[in-house]
Amino acid sequence: MIATLIRTIFADPWPFWAGGIIIGLLVPLLYYFYNTALGVSTGYGNLVKMILPSRHLKWIKSKFPETWSWRVYFIIGIILGGFVSSALAGNLGLTSEMGSFTTNVQWPPLLTAIYFFGGGLLLGLGARIAGGCTSGHSIHGIANLHVSSILVTALFVIGGIIAANLVRFALLGGAW
Amino acid sequence: MNKKIGILGFGIIFGFALSRAGASDFDLILGMFLGADYTLVGVIGTAIVTGFIGMQFLKKFKNSTISGEPIKISYKELKPWSLLGAGIFGIGWGISGACPGTVLAQLGEGKILGLSTFLGMIVGTYIYALLKEKYEDI
Repeated sequence: MIATLIRTIFADPWPFWAGGIIIGLLVPLLYYFYNTALGVSTGYGNLVKMILPSRHLKWIKSKFPETWSWRVYFIIGIILGGFVSSALAGNLGLTSEMGSFTTNVQWPPLLTAIYFFGGGLLLGLGARIAGGCTSGHSIHGIANLHVSSILVTALFVIGGIIAANLVRFALLGGAW
Repeated sequence: MNKKIGILGFGIIFGFALSRAGASDFDLILGMFLGADYTLVGVIGTAIVTGFIGMQFLKKFKNSTISGEPIKISYKELKPWSLLGAGIFGIGWGISGACPGTVLAQLGEGKILGLSTFLGMIVGTYIYALLKEKYEDI
């Protein structure tokens, strides 16, 4: 009985609503405890300040006075959470796989790495111009009925649909 | 200091939930955009509804933080280029099968290509900082 419960929570994939409820509760909880909005992508500015020559840039100076702000701790926490999830599910260890991309696309590793780097670059740049990402706009913003977040999310989805279809037909051979 | 430790804890819960819900799975993200798998639509939809109900509850019964401060909800204004930025973000989301939160969960799960996406995000943010130097309203 207890073993089954532990298995259900820690090893089997969750039903969609379980993850949704926990993620959604973070919105009021972060306001209640820290008066702060759920959001991840702004913290990448802290990482820029840490590892790239950027301390002279106006945006970095004004938005990120504290390099190791709470946003960095949120980022570290999410990484640890992914690690704990994998460890408890018994999937610990490094993998070079990335779902159907690496099963269908036989590129040299460097090219594959550049592909994902390019995707990340668009995510980082786009999130800053849009003023947030999936957590800040699509979850926090829409949960607070913010019109800007609803519009931004609509564009996230349109961009995602276009890119996913291009990837499917140009790289994955149309199979899904 | 306390806030940072607490936020670290919430981050662990967030990363764990993202990973368990399948949000760090390339195929589920692509499947969502291809209309082939609605798992993550369900996750995001449930999160929005839960967040909405939680915020209403918080406003009605307390309307202040645990330490008694009035709650200040952050509103992200639409800037002139916001929607273009959102389109760029969406394309990156569809290409990499990740977003700024889920890529961190991928790192924790040991997905090496997630590191590529992660480094790309840092550089993308850096490019924004460089652009911002020249273009005030971006």
